[in-house]
Amino acid sequence: MIKQLLFAGALLLTLGVMFYTLKRLIKIFSLTKKGFPINNIGKRIGITLRVAMGQTKIMRKPVIGLMHALVFWGFCVILIGSVEMLIDGLAGTERILGFLGVVYDIIFGSGDVFAFLILIFIAAFIFRRVFMRISRFQGIEMKHKSHVDANVALSLIFLLMLTLLGMNIFYVQHTIINGHSVTGVYPVSSIIADWLPEMSISTLSNLHEINWWVHILLIFFFANYLPYSKHFHVFLSVPNVFLSRLEPLGKLDNMDHVTREVKMMLDPNASFDDSPDEDIQRFGVLDCEDVSWKNYFDSLACTQCGRCTEVCPANQTGKMLSPRKIMMDLRERMDEKSKGLLLDGTDYSDGKSLIKDYISAEEIWACTTCNACAQECPININHPSLIVDMRRYIVMEESGAPAELNSIFTNIENNGAPWQFSQEDRMLWNDDAEVPVLADLFNQDKRPEFLLWIGSSGAFDDRYKKVTRAFIKVLNHLKIDYAVLGTEESSSGDVARRGGNEMLFQMQAMMNIELFNGYEVKKILTCDPHAYNTFKNEYPVLGGEYEVIHHSQFLSKLISEEGLDLSNKSFDGKTITFHDPCYLGRGNGEYQAPRQVINNMGATFTEMKRNKSFALCCGAGGAQMFKEAEKGDREVFMARTEEALETGADIIATACPYCMVMITDGLKYSNKETEVKNYDLAELVADSLDI
Amino acid sequence: MKILVCVGNVPDTTTKVRFAEKNTKFDTNGVQWVINPWDELALTRALELKEDSSNPVVHVTVATVGRAGAEPTMRKALAIGADDAIRIDTDPEDSSFVAYQLAEVIKNEDYQLVLCGIESSDYNGAAVGGMLSEYLDLPSVSAVTGMTFEGADIILSREIDGGIEEVSLPAPFVAVVQKGIAKEPRIPAMRGIMMARKKPLKVVEVAEAETLTNMTEFEMPKPKPPCKMIEAENVAELVDLLQNEAKVL
Repeated sequence: MIKQLLFAGALLLTLGVMFYTLKRLIKIFSLTKKGFPINNIGKRIGITLRVAMGQTKIMRKPVIGLMHALVFWGFCVILIGSVEMLIDGLAGTERILGFLGVVYDIIFGSGDVFAFLILIFIAAFIFRRVFMRISRFQGIEMKHKSHVDANVALSLIFLLMLTLLGMNIFYVQHTIINGHSVTGVYPVSSIIADWLPEMSISTLSNLHEINWWVHILLIFFFANYLPYSKHFHVFLSVPNVFLSRLEPLGKLDNMDHVTREVKMMLDPNASFDDSPDEDIQRFGVLDCEDVSWKNYFDSLACTQCGRCTEVCPANQTGKMLSPRKIMMDLRERMDEKSKGLLLDGTDYSDGKSLIKDYISAEEIWACTTCNACAQECPININHPSLIVDMRRYIVMEESGAPAELNSIFTNIENNGAPWQFSQEDRMLWNDDAEVPVLADLFNQDKRPEFLLWIGSSGAFDDRYKKVTRAFIKVLNHLKIDYAVLGTEESSSGDVARRGGNEMLFQMQAMMNIELFNGYEVKKILTCDPHAYNTFKNEYPVLGGEYEVIHHSQFLSKLISEEGLDLSNKSFDGKTITFHDPCYLGRGNGEYQAPRQVINNMGATFTEMKRNKSFALCCGAGGAQMFKEAEKGDREVFMARTEEALETGADIIATACPYCMVMITDGLKYSNKETEVKNYDLAELVADSLDI
Repeated sequence: MKILVCVGNVPDTTTKVRFAEKNTKFDTNGVQWVINPWDELALTRALELKEDSSNPVVHVTVATVGRAGAEPTMRKALAIGADDAIRIDTDPEDSSFVAYQLAEVIKNEDYQLVLCGIESSDYNGAAVGGMLSEYLDLPSVSAVTGMTFEGADIILSREIDGGIEEVSLPAPFVAVVQKGIAKEPRIPAMRGIMMARKKPLKVVEVAEAETLTNMTEFEMPKPKPPCKMIEAENVAELVDLLQNEAKVL
């Protein structure tokens, strides 16, 4: 009875502390901003089963991933044992779930094996952290505290497993000597029990008791230690996966209060006095209270594994940005500021902010929005959206973008392209091909099937103009029913949005949507994955719903459905590799279409070491194309070009205007431009068709 | 101290220039209008001076001569950060006319500093600043590339052949500014755009004034002949073309 009372007391204390922590957390969450709604429960359950329970993303690193998965699954099974211990402790029973029979045997048998495996793996994890210099665990954000935290948590788990096994071992031995039958099966503990020296029944009983108590008390302690440690992950990772952002990675969320402003700006009838109060919350994220609840949840669930930072192109090339640091900084800043905010209200200021005092502008502007970090994160944390939110603050509240970006914003606003070219020159790429213009066809009451979006690069970049011409040849050759906007085309706004200028993006988007809808556009075809992404994912919420097709998808469909055959002799004996554009691949999950097109050409196709969702960015996305790279030790495009050259391919195929510029530069600087060529899919197809 | 920045409303640099009315008028159809780049820099510097609280600048006004079509440009100047705006409601006829109109407005207000861009990117007359100081009977300094306060003194720097000249003079005066007065033109922030809607934009009636010049005709530059590409090995052909076609050898 005393034992039960003691147990109940310990449990109450544990629950009390947990309740305090939970209350504090709920208050902190009340400081954050509204994020996306939690709908689509079916899809969320699916993701949870796949990513959390199935551990699919952590197994992108197969060996260490499998070890983690086994530890995770082991925890899940062992948790049932802990529940039994709670009941036993309160009710004064022993192994009360034993009535489950075979089920009990399976659960506790596997739990016993898992405990042993976890013990070994945790020992290996500690060894790795302490004695092996894993680069992923280093970085400016990984301070002494972080390493201690990791080692404490791992040691606790180690002790938990040790006592669990001890409990099982002495239970088995004690029960057998007593002549009772053992409840459950304990494959590992039974073997170890056999090796034990002879002990008296009371010694065995005491040892069992000690292990039992140490184990459950460790659990109680662990449960209350976790929320203050990076290992809060143990509690939050499964919910974090369930609460994942379900949108394609390439999509950025719309800022609705900017939409209201832009609509008013574009409406000639709006009176200036109609504008709502200036008392609109801050645009973008300056400090911890500006983030959404999900950003904060992400930061709490992050266990600092560093997979995000390891794959970050900016980080790999020596730049300051580390996506992991963004999450850690947010959590730390919230720890620091939330007390004041909760006491003094939202006006509280300690003279510091998340941007500047924690995260520098240099870090924020180094991101290529390639989404490698978000793709890699085992628990679906989304770093780029937060980085762009910080850019939004810098641009919309402070006009503080890098000077080169400010001038491209001005150009987009004045002449509809990032460069200073007149909109009237938007058809100069065309030599002598017959290119139908939408306005002409519309006036003849014709509605072409596709609007072909040329894009600013397609119209003005000397290298990419060749791609535009090649694709036009393909379309004309195949007698596709299409038209271009010609001099009515303007920037899609992608660069502006990723550069943090949400207002300019929305102005461009709304003007384009008005134009598209006026011409009754239904399907948009483009060579540019950035335009593709923004039309497909970001225009609908502003009133522009179209079927958007990237040219790789269009060509692949012609091959599989219309029997387009590219296998003439153009590329016989040649080897082609393909560089995945981030906004086609990770951004929108399209990896197969471009490969199918290349595979149809009769050339030998070879993959780069990092391909598909693992592909390294070319370095130009996220408005990087238009600014100097932040300080680092090398250029991203050189790193990617090297990877392409390693394949020994004769041709590096791309399917994006930015990737084209970057890889072309990479070949030039590597002095390989005569041996190795860089072509867009459209050019390869035009060659294959001999047109 | 109050600063007035004179702002011109000019076509964007990518504009395709066309003329109307027998080549005597600039065809404004489809033109995107922007703040004259020199004036934009002048405004940026004025705002920088105002934001630094160690300076005595408390207020920045922008003024333009133009019809209602110039209002978006004025709103943009307000969005960038000017406190209020004045539009003199008439077409900017010629330099003297524009300078006179601005002077009429400035006379009645107490601006200690008047900033003008050295020229406008449309007609490049480079005359308004000087004329304005004459009409106002104020001293003026031209081609100013730097402006700072040192206590009560205003130090102006000017780029001269082989160096920089620094001059100091008491306000009020007209500073005609050159590129370099501010590093980069400031672009409006979202917050600025929202606030610009509620900032005062005063429309002033035109004053009686003469235009001193008459536009007789505009002429477009002759289109450049297309570029001829010659293979790198083909030196003979190059020499032949330079001798016989371009006649430069």
